[in-house]
Amino acid sequence: MENPRDINSILTKGKIIEQVNLNNNYHKIKIKAPQIAKKAKPGQFTMLSKWEIKELFLKRPFSFYNIEPDLGTFDILYKKKGKGTQILAESKIGDLVELIGPLGNGFKIPKSVRNIAIVARGIGIAPLMPLILECKQKGINIYSFLSAQTENLLLYSDKIESISKETFYTTDDGSKGAKGEVTDFLEKILKGIVIDVVYTCGSKRLTKHIRNLQKKYNFLAFVSLEEHMACGIGACKGCVHKTKDGYKRVCKEGPVFPVEEVIFND
Amino acid sequence: MTKEVSLEVDLGPLHLKNPIMPASGTFDVKCTLLNENELNRLGAVVPKSIAFKGREGNPEPRICETDCGLLNAVGVPSRGVEYFIKEELPLLKKANNIIIVSLLGNSVEDFCNLAGYLNKIEEISALEINLSCPNLNNGIPFGVNEDKLYELIFNIKKNTSKPIIAKLSPNVSDIKKMALSVQNAGAEIITIANTFMGMAIDVDKQLPRLGNNIGGLSGPAIRPIVVRMIWEIAQVINIPIIGVGGVCCAEDAIEMFLVGASAVQVGSANFSNPYIMLEIITGIKRYLKEKKYNSIQDIIGLVKD
Repeated sequence: MENPRDINSILTKGKIIEQVNLNNNYHKIKIKAPQIAKKAKPGQFTMLSKWEIKELFLKRPFSFYNIEPDLGTFDILYKKKGKGTQILAESKIGDLVELIGPLGNGFKIPKSVRNIAIVARGIGIAPLMPLILECKQKGINIYSFLSAQTENLLLYSDKIESISKETFYTTDDGSKGAKGEVTDFLEKILKGIVIDVVYTCGSKRLTKHIRNLQKKYNFLAFVSLEEHMACGIGACKGCVHKTKDGYKRVCKEGPVFPVEEVIFND
Repeated sequence: MTKEVSLEVDLGPLHLKNPIMPASGTFDVKCTLLNENELNRLGAVVPKSIAFKGREGNPEPRICETDCGLLNAVGVPSRGVEYFIKEELPLLKKANNIIIVSLLGNSVEDFCNLAGYLNKIEEISALEINLSCPNLNNGIPFGVNEDKLYELIFNIKKNTSKPIIAKLSPNVSDIKKMALSVQNAGAEIITIANTFMGMAIDVDKQLPRLGNNIGGLSGPAIRPIVVRMIWEIAQVINIPIIGVGGVCCAEDAIEMFLVGASAVQVGSANFSNPYIMLEIITGIKRYLKEKKYNSIQDIIGLVKD
């Protein structure tokens, strides 16, 4: 019988096959779940639980940091900050997780793009990594603008630098790169070359800066938004964000939105 | 050959193949992992409450998880009744033969118009009246005032021939009075309960965690309170009860049958496990077999005063 749903996701088990403590509270975990890994696209996410429903009620959303369809695996980056990520951080190789995915709309890479920029703060790099890997494969030039509180929170910056044509850093404490706004560097680049698309994730402040630059320099810009989610599949209407066309579900219409459509309250 | 146990229940004028259905607001026929066969295995389908005209819902953040529960202030966004009839109803018709439509209104007139409008649609099996949305009716839900409740249900009944399910608010001092009030007004079925009003604070930011400040609590945390309410109501009314509140497994649902519910809705647990309603149906069958019952009806209301 025909399925009335318009989602292409499944509920499945995944196996943890690698767990890396990057530093302090930051971790990377590799999960084998071929049915999801084969379909996952950069910018999409998965709902994950490694707990019984009466232990912790909801699954948690995680974007794909790395997708290896041939190996049937994907990686997620996470910061240990609540009960869910605490349980995840204590998990062992071979442990099972329950997953729903892949979910949401990923990043679009328009045709005939030559130069893109990514702007990320801290763990906001997570959904952008598979995007720049895909762009690299397509021969697109990548300009990376990374910021963090301090140098060791510039996650995977070596890897990003090796993929990018140019990489710029700012840190709040000045431990790497300049202090101040990383988007100031973006503007310097925009003055010299045409950046076709700017992608960012998470930071409200950086997204606002990008929106201002967009008005001045006219480029496409996309932001991957984060919200608390209950179902991840569009049913609960819980994860909305304000846009020019009213509230939209981050899990369903997003998580990637054109920057000019998103409205921030403050 | 062993006889298959029967999960069929009569819910007033409705006959259900089994007593498990989604709670309104936790199921969207356009966003479900269940295919048509699986949806057809449910006792009924219950879409999110609809309002006559489209409404936006509350500002974000709309949800936050609390211990053993979920606090939400989604605020019943609806695309209006026309959209529902055109876009959702055709899918619901394919999904199940029992369609229970949840209604939301700001006034008696609002509810009556909506009920009257839907009366002509044959495929709708019953109307569930959402009586407890706290941010409506000048902040006073219909469900917390016996007289208002009676007036509302009585007038809705005049506008429709469909069975009326009164979904009571649990945020009252005596749920029995409310149940009697809707029974006297002509409701055929009672759903108990809706979410419990709650609040959560981000102690770091020193601000409410929800955009609407207060919200409704659901999930395992509220189940014992709902079980008590079903048990209390079952002693005083003679119309069937649908239990809802924190059901996460077959045992949770069975608890509600034992205290007098004839059917059970599964709510926010659907978010964690989209297949949970099907697992609960299987689990109830297993329980009845183990306890050597032929029918779910044999256990309804076994636990009395």
